Amino acid sequence: MSSSNLLIDSPEHPLATVTNRAIESVDLKILRSFDEAQEEGESDFVLELINLYLNEVPRLFSAIREAIAKDDWPSIKRAAHSVRGSSSNLGILQIAVIAGALEQLAANQHAPVGQLLLSLQDEFTRVEKILSAERQRRTV
Amino acid sequence: MKILVAEDDAVSCRVLTANLKSWGHEVVVTNNGSDALQALQRAGAPLLAILDWIMPDLDGVEVCRRLRSEDTERSVYIILLTSLNRKENLIEGLEAGADDYLTKPFDRNELRMRVQAGARIVQLQSSLRERVRELELAQEALRNLSLTDDMTGLYNHRGFFNLAEHQLKMNHRSKTTSLLIFADMDGLKEINDTRGHQAGSNAIAAVADILRRTFRNCDIIARLGGDEFAILAPNVDIADAGKIIERLNSNLQLYNDERHHDFQLALSVGAVEIDPMSEVDIREQMGRADEAMYREKGHKKAQKAQS
Repeated sequence: MSSSNLLIDSPEHPLATVTNRAIESVDLKILRSFDEAQEEGESDFVLELINLYLNEVPRLFSAIREAIAKDDWPSIKRAAHSVRGSSSNLGILQIAVIAGALEQLAANQHAPVGQLLLSLQDEFTRVEKILSAERQRRTV
Repeated sequence: MKILVAEDDAVSCRVLTANLKSWGHEVVVTNNGSDALQALQRAGAPLLAILDWIMPDLDGVEVCRRLRSEDTERSVYIILLTSLNRKENLIEGLEAGADDYLTKPFDRNELRMRVQAGARIVQLQSSLRERVRELELAQEALRNLSLTDDMTGLYNHRGFFNLAEHQLKMNHRSKTTSLLIFADMDGLKEINDTRGHQAGSNAIAAVADILRRTFRNCDIIARLGGDEFAILAPNVDIADAGKIIERLNSNLQLYNDERHHDFQLALSVGAVEIDPMSEVDIREQMGRADEAMYREKGHKKAQKAQS
């Protein structure tokens, strides 16, 4: 289980503490716990959440990219906050952690936000695979 | 229960909504603070709201603040959603008027319990409001039924007319004459203006005491309102009116002499005899007494102007 592929050499860095631990990309137990909120006669709720997440996150990534280009720190922070919220809700832990760090960097108007966005995108491709497999499992 | 959710993040919003719905709640969904504020200000708005802390335009704390600054009888129970778990942030949220908070990502059972606690409080509040409204109505009804004047303990307008009407019927049957007196305080307005309203109220209460002392306890003594008093004295005719009014004036004089207020209590009085055989009702008789009183007041003023 790899953590982020970022190199962190400063102990003050927001990722320094979190990446010391190995964190799963997706905790499927958390994701599947939403079966409890499944309403009878309705379409699969977890499936709906997966689709919502896979649509929403790339949109937020573009928002972050645009905001970085404009040095718009509040927008970076807000979008990163949303990524963190959505991810932590669904048990998508690694992204939640990196987005949290990005949020913090943006709050302090700290420069290396671009690096974090790259590692978010990198992690997202991993998450996409896991979620697609889960989607597959649920549609057959 | 109808619950408002304000959450800009689509996934969190969907998770929250699905959970609430699965417990049988009706959910009103908004995605930002100003929509939430508007939805909560509408008539029939939800009484429980779950607001995300960080939202575009108005954040959850600001929505709280604005709702709490309104002067409204309805109060919304607010749960703030926060991923910030630093203490000063929580205190800021609670100071802004939030009732409770929940840290994200929330535990399903915790959310359920906190919503349940909120719903219980909302229900208690609305039943309390219901009770207060019932009590107010009952109080109002009692006031309307009351026959006595709070300030003086004399009969009030309603009490006077009820009792006097009945008394006149009895007089008609027993063929006894009665005397109707209308009395109006002189210069209450000046007392109020120069000595304050408490002094004015004291003056009214003093007049009431003097009337009680002057008349018999079978007489109906009332404060009709403001500075107006009325007395119905059964079994008295107009020949005795002079004596009675003299006694009243000497009691007033005694009061003024005993206390050295810088104002004097004085009454203008009109008296009419009520013929037991007369078909004229109490209200018309009051009109006659009122006219007699005004004649006296006019007379007094003319005298004062001359001297």
